[in-house]
Amino acid sequence: MNTLDARTWLADHGDYLFRVARRQLHSDELAEDAVQETLLAALSAQARYAGDASPRTWLTGILKHKIVDLIRRNVREVEIPRDEDGEEAVDLLFKRDGHWAEPLRPWGNPHAEAEMSQLRRVLDQCADRLKPVMAQVFSLREVAGMETEEICKELNITPTNCWVLLHRARLFMRQCLEMNGFSKAGAV
Amino acid sequence: MDERLPLSNRMALRFHLAICKNCTRFNQQLQQMRRLFREEAAADDDAAGLAPEARQRIETALQKKLGS
Repeated sequence: MNTLDARTWLADHGDYLFRVARRQLHSDELAEDAVQETLLAALSAQARYAGDASPRTWLTGILKHKIVDLIRRNVREVEIPRDEDGEEAVDLLFKRDGHWAEPLRPWGNPHAEAEMSQLRRVLDQCADRLKPVMAQVFSLREVAGMETEEICKELNITPTNCWVLLHRARLFMRQCLEMNGFSKAGAV
Repeated sequence: MDERLPLSNRMALRFHLAICKNCTRFNQQLQQMRRLFREEAAADDDAAGLAPEARQRIETALQKKLGS
């Protein structure tokens, strides 16, 4: 039987909850909000805590709901962006008949630490240039590893739109990484 | 990459990949990109914690609610 002590929640579980939230939300600020809302909600719900789960598991359960709420609130508009920056670069990849316009060069396999930290910077910069909804779908799928079906449902977008967004995000990211040095990174 | 395709599509995809060097490369690059993102997220994750200001803000909000 576990017991709750609200006074130690923040000290004991704050960082953990923050990391879980940040992984899904991809933003420090939103993750902080998620932690705060979770702990406040937990205070109100204390009476319903049965004691069979550990406090951390119980708090994490509440956090999951808060994360989904925050994502929904932030992805209000789900129209697929058209004719904007980056889209053209993606279109140039393919010829009218659908074939690749140019041969793809292989990427190297970066190992050196300096090279890795440079690549991390590129990853972040490219991700920042994605449209918010695309970034959200991309990060839930590629980074958090959620199933696509689940992502569509949680973000409340149709599967068709969801797949298009994911595909475009991947094309854009691949292109952005390549233009920023990936094709040369550790080239063999 | 995302889900298991029905057998016929899977065979078609395999066949296409066998003859399309660009598509094979593209596939490898998407996998590589995913790996890098996940590695970065994991490395980032170990170090991350609540910023002191955020912790203070949350603490204040909790105290306020506890006191009310």
